[in-house]
Amino acid sequence: MPIIELRDVSKLYGFGDATTVALDEVNLSIEEGEFIAVMGPSGSGKSTLMNIIGLLDRPTHGNYLLNGRSVDRLRPRRRAKARRDTIGFVFQSFNLLPRLTVLENVALPLAYKGVSLNKRLKMAERILERVGMQEREYYYPKQLSSGQTQSAAIARALVNNPKIIIADEPTGNLDSAASRLVMELFAEIHRTGTTVLLVTHNPELTRYATRVVYMHDGDIISDEHTDLGEVAKTARKVMYTIPTTSEEDDLAGVSALMHAVPGPREHARPKTKKHKKSSRKNSHARAKKRVKV
Amino acid sequence: MTLPHRHDINLAIRAIRASKGRSFLTVLGIVIGIVAVVSIVDISQGVKQQVSGQINELGKNLITIRPGQLLDKNGAGIVTGLNLLSPFGNVSTLTQGDVQTVSSTYGVKDSVPLTTVSGQITVDGQPSASALVIGAGDQLPAALNQSIAYGSFFDSTNDTTNVAVIGQQAALSLFDEDIPLGHQFSFHGQQFIVLGIFNQFDTAPLSLNANFNQAIFIPYQVSEQITNNAAPIDEILVKPNNLKQVDTVAAALNKNLLNSHGGQQDFSVLKQNQSLAVTSSVLNSLTVLISVIAGISLLVGGVGIMNVTLVSVTDRTREIGIRKAIGATNRQILDQFVIEAMVMSITGGIIGVIFSLIVDYVLRVTTSLEPVITWQIIVIATGVSLLVGIVFGALPAFQAARKDPIDALRYE
Repeated sequence: MPIIELRDVSKLYGFGDATTVALDEVNLSIEEGEFIAVMGPSGSGKSTLMNIIGLLDRPTHGNYLLNGRSVDRLRPRRRAKARRDTIGFVFQSFNLLPRLTVLENVALPLAYKGVSLNKRLKMAERILERVGMQEREYYYPKQLSSGQTQSAAIARALVNNPKIIIADEPTGNLDSAASRLVMELFAEIHRTGTTVLLVTHNPELTRYATRVVYMHDGDIISDEHTDLGEVAKTARKVMYTIPTTSEEDDLAGVSALMHAVPGPREHARPKTKKHKKSSRKNSHARAKKRVKV
Repeated sequence: MTLPHRHDINLAIRAIRASKGRSFLTVLGIVIGIVAVVSIVDISQGVKQQVSGQINELGKNLITIRPGQLLDKNGAGIVTGLNLLSPFGNVSTLTQGDVQTVSSTYGVKDSVPLTTVSGQITVDGQPSASALVIGAGDQLPAALNQSIAYGSFFDSTNDTTNVAVIGQQAALSLFDEDIPLGHQFSFHGQQFIVLGIFNQFDTAPLSLNANFNQAIFIPYQVSEQITNNAAPIDEILVKPNNLKQVDTVAAALNKNLLNSHGGQQDFSVLKQNQSLAVTSSVLNSLTVLISVIAGISLLVGGVGIMNVTLVSVTDRTREIGIRKAIGATNRQILDQFVIEAMVMSITGGIIGVIFSLIVDYVLRVTTSLEPVITWQIIVIATGVSLLVGIVFGALPAFQAARKDPIDALRYE
């Protein structure tokens, strides 16, 4: 049984002519223990996909099964609890609370679970030790280097012992040394059997992954299983683009990807527009169908 | 809501401290509201005690007959009770005949009619500042347990002559002397001789005899004579023969007067505890009125809390998003902001109570007011401030709790 299963998941923003398709009937099934690198240009729907998988967002259409159970109709309270107990988030901008110490930040998810103060501080200490941050417990986030901050954020994501870690460009704000440190942490987490979803622009990082997914315009256009330590084949083709999140470079990355990725999109540019239109029509048709049912 | 943990309160205090200026002003708003309410209640409590202490001093066996229906059958009538504040009005349903009826009722030892006489007093041909002229029966000192400082009160031998006994302040303001015995003044075209000067009447705010220090007392018969029997009778004080007879005498008086008024209850026979009830009810309604006004300032303080919490929620939108992402439920977010609002308001409440203690002390030292602070008012004030925090913190906290986690996370 896959731990995550998306069936025809779409996410639309806006209404009428202004509708944007962020996810277009995505089907994705993830087994427990996989390390998935999600790649693709900005605006390709990576983050939307992560937000839906992380129960921060709801799909417009389609079904999402987490642990084999549909979570589409969960009440906000149950969703919050599922986020708390099964999912750990790591963000590009760290998102530690500035007024809390590292230890308190890490212990916060436990507080929401109702663990007593002493116990949760102890548990947080243990996790911080695991990420090599035990000497920075009483520091405030602004007193840490970016690599240390991200390590603390990873500790926070781990403290509830989640089954899934979702990391949205966790190395985007880090230099290469800090990136390696953070990625080693993810590799270590993966080794303990945790499912890791990593959004990245850096093809090098696909070395850590067991599976690489490429997204473009809300579609998954390539899904490749790779061996640990190997850069994914498709990623190798776009390696010459500088991994970054800046828009200018992304454009370069997009065009590179257009040519690099095999399949139905060889003449990407004109086709993309056409595809968008048709997908919109399709989704409208689907919507109508649903109403009838 | 479950009781907040000490750690939660700690975090709330840290969050409040993060924006010191803003929080200080908010707390100040609550402080002002609490000080206003607590001080006003304390002052009115003090006044009530002073007045009731005084009425007790007058003697428990004193019966007072007043025109108009002061009390309804069930107890104290609040609106009619307001007559007490202007008892020396011009319309009276009591007549000279009633004075006769009262004095001839069985069991009555002393009966003292009191009447106000309006008119200009002239001293040495100079018109004097208006003074209260009261026509009184000659047993007044006995009825009020009031002693004469100098000279003597008029009695049956001279109560038809133009004599006057005056209060201490009246002595000063009319004659510029402490002991103006034998001095003369003219009133309604007649010359009066000062026969005696009262000792200081105990003064208390809103009490009847507060004015007596400034009053000139002339014999009742004389006042009837100079006004051609037109002076309204404001009050008849009655002292029964025996303390134990107060109730029966009062009942007899009521019955007799009812007879002579043709069965119409347009007068009131009050025992001391009843006049206390009237005074209290008047004071209570005044206290309620002023407290409501003071309460409005507390309300404004609450709006301040709401405003600051609202700003805080907007400021910390991203924090809310992060907290939700790591598993906070809407309820937990709600609680967090409500606790912060509560901490602010209860801080204001406690500081407010401390300040009102100081205000009370200053009032005691500098004025004749004697505010009374009770533990009840302290508890209520703190409780109310807590309530203000919950009520006014709740709305912005609800907003915080309902925020969409994605939007909140993206918020810069």
